[in-house]
Amino acid sequence: MEQRSPLLPALGFIAPVQLFVGVIIFIPALYVFWLSLTESSFGQAPVFVGLANYARVLADPYFWKALVNTVIVVLIVVHVELLLGLGMALLFASGVPFRPLLLAAVLAPYAVSEVSAVVMWRFLFDPEVGFATQALTALGLPPLEWAVVPWQGLLLVSLLSIWLHLPFTFVILYAARLAIPGELYEAAQMDGASGFARFRRVTLPLLVPAMLIAMLFRYIFAFRLFSEVWLLTGGGPARQTEVLAVYLYLEAFRYNAFGDAAATGWLLVVASLVLALWYLRRLYKEMFATYAP
Amino acid sequence: MRRNPLLMALKGIAILVVLAWSLIPIAMIMVSSFKTDRDIFAVPPRLAFQPTWTNYVALWERWGDFFHGLLNSLIVTAGATIVAVLASAVAGYAYSRFRHKVLAGSAFFLIFIRLIPPIVITLPLFPAVNWLGLNDTHFILIILYATFFVSLGTLVMRTFIDQIPKEVDEAAHLDGASRLQVLYKLILPLSAQGMVAVAVFVIVYAWNEFLFAFIFTTTRAKTAPLVLSEMIGAVEGVEWGVLFAASTVQLLPVLIFVVLAQKHLVAGLTAGSTKG
Repeated sequence: MEQRSPLLPALGFIAPVQLFVGVIIFIPALYVFWLSLTESSFGQAPVFVGLANYARVLADPYFWKALVNTVIVVLIVVHVELLLGLGMALLFASGVPFRPLLLAAVLAPYAVSEVSAVVMWRFLFDPEVGFATQALTALGLPPLEWAVVPWQGLLLVSLLSIWLHLPFTFVILYAARLAIPGELYEAAQMDGASGFARFRRVTLPLLVPAMLIAMLFRYIFAFRLFSEVWLLTGGGPARQTEVLAVYLYLEAFRYNAFGDAAATGWLLVVASLVLALWYLRRLYKEMFATYAP
Repeated sequence: MRRNPLLMALKGIAILVVLAWSLIPIAMIMVSSFKTDRDIFAVPPRLAFQPTWTNYVALWERWGDFFHGLLNSLIVTAGATIVAVLASAVAGYAYSRFRHKVLAGSAFFLIFIRLIPPIVITLPLFPAVNWLGLNDTHFILIILYATFFVSLGTLVMRTFIDQIPKEVDEAAHLDGASRLQVLYKLILPLSAQGMVAVAVFVIVYAWNEFLFAFIFTTTRAKTAPLVLSEMIGAVEGVEWGVLFAASTVQLLPVLIFVVLAQKHLVAGLTAGSTKG
């Protein structure tokens, strides 16, 4: 029945999911664009103001602070995760004892909510009694003053975020590593390639697609970072640790500047799509190759 | 394989570091939840201590809200899981068995949509949800959580249904079964593994979600993570012991669940992220 598929029953089957994403995500996302061109607040009729909201947002130093903070955190989080995830994938692929048990341990942070993770990391770095603070002191290092010094607050946000999301990156890379056929390594060994050469010539090139996918997804998801920052520093002190999602939330729900928030939101959407452009192009081709023979 | 002792030692250390990194933060709050304040604040940290239930008793007596939150989390998670798994399975079936240009476009749309940041859509949804009288209800969270997982769910289901030979449904069709019958008598039972994989993702996500719960609920439908966040921000300073107890209660069921379902989690992640 693959040839000449009737469309109508298929449409019936995909209707629920399309309705969900269409009504709950797509239409609201488009509507945000319209909101971003208007001046409005709750219960007030919107007035068209053109690009005024964008101009105001782009002139707001707090927006730029939030943008820079977001970019820094995303760059740190995604790349550290990629390196650690790769290391762990290779470690597991080289054979570890009690593998199912170790795998469960490594996946454990995936089960933890952002809120619980904040409880954990706040306590670890508590200035008085935190284990991590005590360990730093024992090593003769200064404690992390994350509640006072903005960059140290962002550092703690990054650490927490890496901890929470490393299982995702790891699983993607580990699965990709396991998918590499063993014969390739045997052949490389017969050619007399050393361990490092095998890594560089066989493992690394074959892992690149998975690494790109993991990195892309993590870029996009890290970019919308909200809870970790909100719960850890609330954007403070003095709005110095805000990220874009926190900025948007504050504009909309605290300062009632709905137009500004919508402009920020639309910028977030566009940035996410631009980041994903390469992936979207590939996806588009693949979808049409699969579904429209 | 040669066994280089130095290499083996390094590997052992690497394994220990990975274990410590993953487990110490979790173990720390679980162990500390059984400590008295004096033991929690002991410097250096006390490993040997007299375990106590005080924090759990205090949680029960002073934060009834938290247990209400757990119940809400349970309702919302169950609802979102059922909705997302069913919708994904039905759509996954269509994407696995039918071919048409319209399907190509809609499949692209489904995944493309996943890239839009959730916080953005709260701006128009917040007034709309208020207007419909849906804020602070389980319903709105169920719909939101299900919506944000049907894209991945559909992909995962398609991958699993692709593995069921087409001859199975063709034979059933020849016997006079309708498409719907084929779907729920054959495809769904045969792709149960995929449905479990999707369920694992939705359960972990819905049980832990913070942003939507924070924006769309205030009292009646408040979920456990939201109550936890209020405990962190409680005015009279953080009561660490009670907070540890609450975190442990919130995290333990889903942690056990992830450990038990790790095979499905890994299968689902690989099916969902590397194949499209």
